[in-house]
Amino acid sequence: MGVTVLQQFPIVEQRTGPSTIELLTKRIVALGATQQGQFLVDCETYSSVPQLGAQKTVHVLHNSEQPATVFSILETGSKTIPLITDGLFDLLMMKMSNFYQSKKQTKVESKGPRFEIGDFSVKLGSVAVSQNFKGILVEVEYRPCIVPAMCWDLIREFLQGFLGSSVSSTPPPYLQNKMQEVYTPNDTIQQYLEHFTVYRKSHFKM
Amino acid sequence: MHDGGKATRVIGIRSAEQVLTKNMTTPDSAKDSLTSALNSNIIPNREYLLQGSVVDQYVEVLLHRLRGLCDNVDDGAETFYDHEMCFSLCMNSSGNPLVFPLRVRRALDAQDAPYQLRYIGQQELGDKNRPTIVRSSIDVACSASIVEFLQELGCRLDFEYTARGYMFRKGRMKITVSKICKCGGGNKPGENIELISQSYLVELSVLAPSGYDAIAEDMRVFAEQLKPLVHLEKIDYKRL
Repeated sequence: MGVTVLQQFPIVEQRTGPSTIELLTKRIVALGATQQGQFLVDCETYSSVPQLGAQKTVHVLHNSEQPATVFSILETGSKTIPLITDGLFDLLMMKMSNFYQSKKQTKVESKGPRFEIGDFSVKLGSVAVSQNFKGILVEVEYRPCIVPAMCWDLIREFLQGFLGSSVSSTPPPYLQNKMQEVYTPNDTIQQYLEHFTVYRKSHFKM
Repeated sequence: MHDGGKATRVIGIRSAEQVLTKNMTTPDSAKDSLTSALNSNIIPNREYLLQGSVVDQYVEVLLHRLRGLCDNVDDGAETFYDHEMCFSLCMNSSGNPLVFPLRVRRALDAQDAPYQLRYIGQQELGDKNRPTIVRSSIDVACSASIVEFLQELGCRLDFEYTARGYMFRKGRMKITVSKICKCGGGNKPGENIELISQSYLVELSVLAPSGYDAIAEDMRVFAEQLKPLVHLEKIDYKRL
């Protein structure tokens, strides 16, 4: 487990999602990467029923990189509490369906090929909100290091190397407050949730 | 669990291996894997339970007998010291009160171990001649943020206690002999503890997928061997 940066990749006109993934695949393979299977990150959101008072939201996420773990994030309006549990937490959420109900139309996932290249692993994810394609998220992990401040420059250089100018030279906002801290898989999940939330909002406008 | 999940019970719903063998296909979503695990009935979501007690004076005799009967005797009985908080999520739904109980347990003697979140359902009615209580149970290892998570989720803390004692294993059965103390009211576990009684609680339990009723018979036979020191029984909570 190293440090991960999640980056949106813009889709230019005349290109579709699959052809953009193909383009990025060609670029990363040309750099010497090998494909190591597929990956999947998904997010389902549950909201409290009105009888429970002020509305609270629980986001439940899974990452195929940590297949036995369920990541949950509770948002109360004033607080955000992350919870990391075993797989059976999903079963508990089902049992709680009288209190917290999932909004089916907001199920988000990012999936696609996973590559390894030296110390980096790269995932090219197609994001879909309730099965509708929304965009592309590129995840790059630098595995030998666990403190973002110590490897951000390296990751940025690598990202710019194959994504080009769409990569900002400052770290993603979420990471900026955590540059000196030890990076955990939960931080990757938080980055996914932030991007998913943006994609969902774009969904409602349409 | 990535953080110190040594004691985590990893139930093989989605092992890394399963994902790797499906190298070139998209991994199953966690929901799909859970559904298929539920359909093939491999999730140990039933607890078979017998309970009893033994007065302090005779607990040594009982421990001696358990050492003779159980599997993990070479290195002495395993001790534990746990703190349990019992929460419930309540609301009124068109006149019907709905209560969803949840318990959080943590080891006070192993601070690195993950917290355990547990749902225990009503005991199943069914066959009166069944030798043990059967109730649904979901056990989930979790991070320490669970207490705050539950409070913010809308759960109310009903009561809390500490349990300190010994744990034995016999095949799939777990036997605990523990002293229960009240705590709470702002006290940290260990401060101002209040003993519940002059006895030790004795529990014999097995977690298994539903339908594994043969294990209940093994439990009855084992309970017989502890008589007359302790009478392990099906406790009917509704009658208490």
